Amino acid sequence: MMTRFLRETADDVRMVARGWRWGRRPLVPRNAEPFVPEKEKYVFPTEWARRRPARALREVVQEVGLDPLLRSQVSPRVTGLDMLGRVSPPVLFVANHASHLDTPLILCTLPDAWRRRTSVAAAADYFFDTWWRATGSAIVFNTFPIERRGGSLSSTPGDLLGQGWNVVVFPEGTRSPDGWMGRFRMGAAWLAIEHGVPIVPVAIRGSFAAMPRGRSWPRPGRPPVTVRYGAPLSPGDGETAREFAPRVVAAMSQLLDEDRTTWWQAQLRAARKEIPDPSGPKVARWRRVWEQTAPPRVGRRTDVWR
Amino acid sequence: MSRPGFVLQVDDRTPPLVVHEGEGFRLERFPIGTRVVYPPESLPAVRDVDATIRHALLNPEGSEPLSELLRPGMRLTIAFDDISLPLPPMRKPDIRQRVIEQVLTMAAAAGVDDVALISANAVHRRLTPDELRAIVGERVFRSFFPQGLLYNHDAEDPDDLLHVGVTDRNEDVEINRRAAESDLLVYVNVNLVAMDGGHKSVPVGLASYKSLRPHHNSKTMVQSRSFMDPEKSHLHHSAIRMGRLLADHLRIFTIETTLNNDVFPAPYEFLNKREWEWSIRDQASMLAARRALGVAPRKVKRRVFHSLESPYGVTGVHAGETEAVHAKTLANVHRQQMVEVQGQTDVLVMGLPYLGPYNVNSVMNPILATCMGLGYYFNSYRGCPLVRQGGAVILYHPVPNEFSQLHHPSYVDFFEEVLAETTDPVAIEEKFEQSYATDPWYIHLYRTSYAYHGVHPFYMWYWAAHALDHVGDVVWVGADRHTVQRMGFRAASTLSDALEMVSGTVGRSPSLTYLHNPPHLIADVH
Amino acid sequence: MMLALEMYRSLPRYVAARAAGGRIPGILTGPAAPLRLVNRDEPRVEHESWARVRPTLSGICGSDLGAVTGTTSLYFSALVSMPFVPGHEVVGELLDDCDDLSAGTRVVLDPVLSCAARGVEPCASCAAGATNRCDRITVGHVSPGLQTGYCSDTGGGWGRVLMAHRSQLYPVPDDLPDERAVLAEPLACAVHTAFRAAVPDGATVLVSGAGSVGLFATLALRELTSAGRITVVAKHARQRELARSFGATEVVSPDEVFRGVRRTTRAFRLAPDHQRAYLLGGVDVAIDAVGSKDSLDTVLRATRAGGRVVLSGMPTGGADLSPVWFRELDVVGTYASAPSEPAAGGRPAFELAMELAAGGPLDGVVGAVYPLYRWREAIDHAHSSGRLGTVKVAFDPHGER
Repeated sequence: MMTRFLRETADDVRMVARGWRWGRRPLVPRNAEPFVPEKEKYVFPTEWARRRPARALREVVQEVGLDPLLRSQVSPRVTGLDMLGRVSPPVLFVANHASHLDTPLILCTLPDAWRRRTSVAAAADYFFDTWWRATGSAIVFNTFPIERRGGSLSSTPGDLLGQGWNVVVFPEGTRSPDGWMGRFRMGAAWLAIEHGVPIVPVAIRGSFAAMPRGRSWPRPGRPPVTVRYGAPLSPGDGETAREFAPRVVAAMSQLLDEDRTTWWQAQLRAARKEIPDPSGPKVARWRRVWEQTAPPRVGRRTDVWR
Repeated sequence: MSRPGFVLQVDDRTPPLVVHEGEGFRLERFPIGTRVVYPPESLPAVRDVDATIRHALLNPEGSEPLSELLRPGMRLTIAFDDISLPLPPMRKPDIRQRVIEQVLTMAAAAGVDDVALISANAVHRRLTPDELRAIVGERVFRSFFPQGLLYNHDAEDPDDLLHVGVTDRNEDVEINRRAAESDLLVYVNVNLVAMDGGHKSVPVGLASYKSLRPHHNSKTMVQSRSFMDPEKSHLHHSAIRMGRLLADHLRIFTIETTLNNDVFPAPYEFLNKREWEWSIRDQASMLAARRALGVAPRKVKRRVFHSLESPYGVTGVHAGETEAVHAKTLANVHRQQMVEVQGQTDVLVMGLPYLGPYNVNSVMNPILATCMGLGYYFNSYRGCPLVRQGGAVILYHPVPNEFSQLHHPSYVDFFEEVLAETTDPVAIEEKFEQSYATDPWYIHLYRTSYAYHGVHPFYMWYWAAHALDHVGDVVWVGADRHTVQRMGFRAASTLSDALEMVSGTVGRSPSLTYLHNPPHLIADVH
Repeated sequence: MMLALEMYRSLPRYVAARAAGGRIPGILTGPAAPLRLVNRDEPRVEHESWARVRPTLSGICGSDLGAVTGTTSLYFSALVSMPFVPGHEVVGELLDDCDDLSAGTRVVLDPVLSCAARGVEPCASCAAGATNRCDRITVGHVSPGLQTGYCSDTGGGWGRVLMAHRSQLYPVPDDLPDERAVLAEPLACAVHTAFRAAVPDGATVLVSGAGSVGLFATLALRELTSAGRITVVAKHARQRELARSFGATEVVSPDEVFRGVRRTTRAFRLAPDHQRAYLLGGVDVAIDAVGSKDSLDTVLRATRAGGRVVLSGMPTGGADLSPVWFRELDVVGTYASAPSEPAAGGRPAFELAMELAAGGPLDGVVGAVYPLYRWREAIDHAHSSGRLGTVKVAFDPHGER
């Protein structure tokens, strides 16, 4: 009786495991394909990742694992942290995006108090594709899913800002293919206006050289990267996303220029509207990549401007 | 948005498919190339059922609004479909309750005093007070039942039957006297499948045995191709003749309702879904259900299954003149259940669930199982039968030799006495029907207990007459060998055995079609 | 000296058989059987009209088994004389001349040892030709014993020689083979049963049990009465088949008796509290051919008011007699057979029986023949004959294999 039950259970489980291809993608019978419904938008829940136990776990992972590991593989240099003194959370960190290093770079360069209250918008279609990747990135980076293919903006970033969390957004929506900054989408500006939070631009240089698209680990030799936090931007009264977004892009461009040169030079160039286009020169692809793969040259280093 | 029904071609990617078999189900791997007919997904339900009902009553088809038909001093009878509909029973409130409540509200407003409610159970068993309450709701029940104004139709009560006339084909029309002598008869129907409703409501539901004979017989049933397609059903033609005759004598206000395909409640929703779309959760529920059914004693299983109530959504309510209403109702039913299928098949496979119209809160005995498979499911077609003439039918059901003495006393005798002698519907009708129909004991039980009429098992067998006439071979998978043998069929333990057994009829590589039912579907065969 | 199976008095064995017999049938053919195979003195002919008979076939009857298993009522203990050689269904050959019958004649035996055999004045019953009702079965020339096969002086069919009185003997027609002739005695009982049942024309009859008693009763009812529908209750497949060929209209299994009878008689069925169902209405005549409590209960409950219940199997008692009172049933017994059956115009039941034996579909009814020394097997076989599809098991007392 008991053994029969167990045997039948085993048979059932085996049949279901085979029929529904456990651990692999389920397949739809060929002629049922026209009838497959549009996949329901399933939002991986990440709420739990911002509760106390996950936070405690993340603290350990970031402090003991991520930070030492990052610093052992690249040599980050961070500037402009004083800008954070001028605002209070929540803020929207807006950064250019060229590498998977960008997120850990921002998290590891933020002061602890800020870092603990910061969460990262990550592409739903990549980071939240499978449950194990989603769980991992939510624990380590405090990510939440965001739909990058447009459509309705997921409500999560707004909710998070509302709950007092800082949110890191990469408005390009994807890593740059050649290290130069891509087109910024409006989402960040819209969020800032909607929730009345300031935008803190973050310029990252060298991450492309260190670990571009296609690499899963940084180049050997601890390549240098710089992370520069810029002055917070707040949307003006009645300012629309359409007006605010270019200001954010301009600030980003200026911040990148400042990192390459000096604050003052960048200021002057800004006044003359001579800030170089952060999307790079219109030249052959290889030259663009060539230039970006050089380690970040820092302009005349004058301690005053540091 | 609900997706239409479609025909799946089993390929190497197809997961095992659910096959119902009595109080349980199994997963079956069908041979590659098997066609599987899936019903359309549930249509969206109307949002505000009460408003829809009110709209239907006040804007009827081919009739004045109900409120204008009601006047003080009139005699009003409300008849309603009995417990054989819908299947499984509807989660409360039942749609009939909601309709009846509104009808009564209007009647009260119009000052109608003389109101009676009758369950149109023809020769079905009487409903228990609890069952009546479940259908009409507590309010109606409390207002009418204690006064004896809410009751079951009695097809054997000579005092409460009225012979209204004969049709041009010499068919006796004899129905419930109270209904026939009312100033207005309101009929509240649940149109679960295409055979229900229309003129099948009053002339059949409220009929006497005498008035059932013209259409409930083996000859008519063989020629009803199918009885799920009223246009081609001799059964319905006869009912329509009777209905038209009645409509000349009596004001009938028909209210018909249609439901969607939300048959299985939580946690059995996976049975409503297409298997390859099962989530991990669905798979887990399925496994859990299978295992639980594997160890549960039969009684427990029965209780679990019979306590299921379906979360049906209402897809339409139409009221007014019977034929105009029924046209709209049928369109609704077809919209929910019709699936286009190209061509007939050699072998038709069907899994029979635990429930048919005649075993609510009871046992599906071998005769009911046969009626379910070769009657209802086989006839779920329009055009031509899904299986070719002389093809084979494979049915899944355990078919235990088990009868409810309370509900089906005549079935036991039918099985032991009649089927032991012959399984030919014509011979059965000729030799035995009269003696069963007039057996005083069955009549006594039908009238005072909760038993189906003595003649009812004959009807069940006639229901299968068309299939018995059409197919060459019937094999039951997982059935009790002796029981199906008595009924003239054969039993196999697995699908491959069954295919082996029918290979004599249909060859070694027959075309297979599996009717993925329930939820209900009608195959539109071209 | 002759070889014979002897039944002897043994209280421990009787008690053991009674206690365990039903449950462990093996014990009855094994250590607990109050039977033994012995060499004993041949019966001695000392009186007029007695002669020795050499049995060629001797059947095993239900009452024999009852004696072996201890289910027979102790009522009969005063009517037997131990130790005796059982066997009363006998076909044999006369070894001596006996009145008008010469030695070598094939005969069958009416086993009842009535006044004539005992050499006493005929009692009232015997005088009327109903020897089966004889009151003098314990006195006279031979020791007490209701029949040959229960009397220590006469010997019995399960031995190589027995002695019989002329009044018991019926010569067998030459064209009747032994396998059929050995059925004459049970058929005679069936004939008697059929007459006792007094079946009105076209009446419905229920026969409960399809062992040899029930089957032969069915045959006799069909052949000798104008019964209408005969419903036979049969457990086993072969019994169903035979019942039909013997004339049953309908054969039902034991748990379907009320269903079947109710259908055919259109009766009403009632279900009392904590008891079996019964019918209001039912068959006109019911015959209990088993004798068990269940069977008797069944026939009492399936008979219409004023109907007749015939007890043909040896009853073991214990049935609820309420229906007899409430439904005013005529309960009649039927024992053995009479040499003058009033219903047959005074013909002996044995004559009719031999006609049935010659004409009936009885081929293969004697399903197994054993020599005496394989008696354990034989008893075992007889004990489960229904299940094994055998109607009658017989001994061939002179057989070697």
